Amino acid sequence: MNDDELLHRLQASDPASSLPPADPDRAARLLEDVMSTELTTENRETGTHDRSPLTWLVAAAAAVIIAGAGIFAVMNLNDDSATPTAIDTPAASDPTVTELSAPDAAAYAAKCMVPNPEVLAEQTVAFDATVTSIDGTLVTLTPTTWYAGDPTDLVEVQAPSAEMQQLLSAVSFEQGGRYLVSATDGRVTLCGFSAAYSDDLASMYAQAFAG
Amino acid sequence: MDESRRERFEEIAPGLMEPVRRFLARRTDPETAEDVLAETLLVCWRRVEEVPDLPLPWVYAVARNCLHNAERAARRQDRVAARLMAQPDDPGPPDDQALHEALAALRPEEAELVRLWAWEQLTPAEIAVVLGISPNAASTRLTRAKKKLSDLLRKSAARAGHEESREGRRS
Repeated sequence: MNDDELLHRLQASDPASSLPPADPDRAARLLEDVMSTELTTENRETGTHDRSPLTWLVAAAAAVIIAGAGIFAVMNLNDDSATPTAIDTPAASDPTVTELSAPDAAAYAAKCMVPNPEVLAEQTVAFDATVTSIDGTLVTLTPTTWYAGDPTDLVEVQAPSAEMQQLLSAVSFEQGGRYLVSATDGRVTLCGFSAAYSDDLASMYAQAFAG
Repeated sequence: MDESRRERFEEIAPGLMEPVRRFLARRTDPETAEDVLAETLLVCWRRVEEVPDLPLPWVYAVARNCLHNAERAARRQDRVAARLMAQPDDPGPPDDQALHEALAALRPEEAELVRLWAWEQLTPAEIAVVLGISPNAASTRLTRAKKKLSDLLRKSAARAGHEESREGRRS
């Protein structure tokens, strides 16, 4: 079989040969959406390359909504006792742990802005994890992906019992569930920024912490 | 600066859309293709200053990376299982089972060289840009891959004999 015959045979089997051209309106809209994407992550191009698809769509939607956004309560909370700590123990057998705490009571009553990649990108800790245990004052998660912060084997969210109850109901942590969690100043962010795993939220995380 | 960015993107993007759509349609399911197309265009928008004058091979390289990322993410999210189950419904490529099997028998890099040559109709120098290898390497590897594919096809034709020629005409 010579080159031409091979080429011909391959082209006869081109899976795209039956692909209809894109709808021009849709194509134009796609380009418009892309160009309206905020370029805030440009300077972090060399970081992770783990962006999910359709992040532009989420970003575009968020950019519209953000104009009318309210207070993002958790951002101005800080408390020395709650600095995130990535404890790197030299002993190989000990798992490393990131310790977080629940936001203080005011956060639950505060108004929320719609979750968006811009604000999410400012969180110092962000990860995708499964809840491995919950007891009265401690939720333990096993992270699978780190979007921000120093990766550790485990994450422990600690809170006094009453606050923990509020946190559990705000984020609805459940044993065995998969969550996307972010935190700043050692406190878990609420308002939908930390929530049960969903493709949409995962896209936003990927967008916010994209290289 | 924003205006010139926009101008440049508007100049190149419409011409990229269709080739990239086809590139992706050849390599993944329709849903993923759509996602990755958007992602690829977004990367082009972000890095519009880096897009070379002959954009396509560079953009294919971007699309390829985005596709790999999407597939890695999909594997993590078990979407692959759903996609595999969905596949029988896909119209699929035209019926040339022998070719399909021969392509699958090539190493993935070899098959990609052949696809870029036959389907995207790139020159070895352009293939080199897509794969991030030297033009010389692209050229020799392409020659080798084409030969290997021809040999595989010849062998499968010989093995199948008459049966193959009958099946080959079905479509």
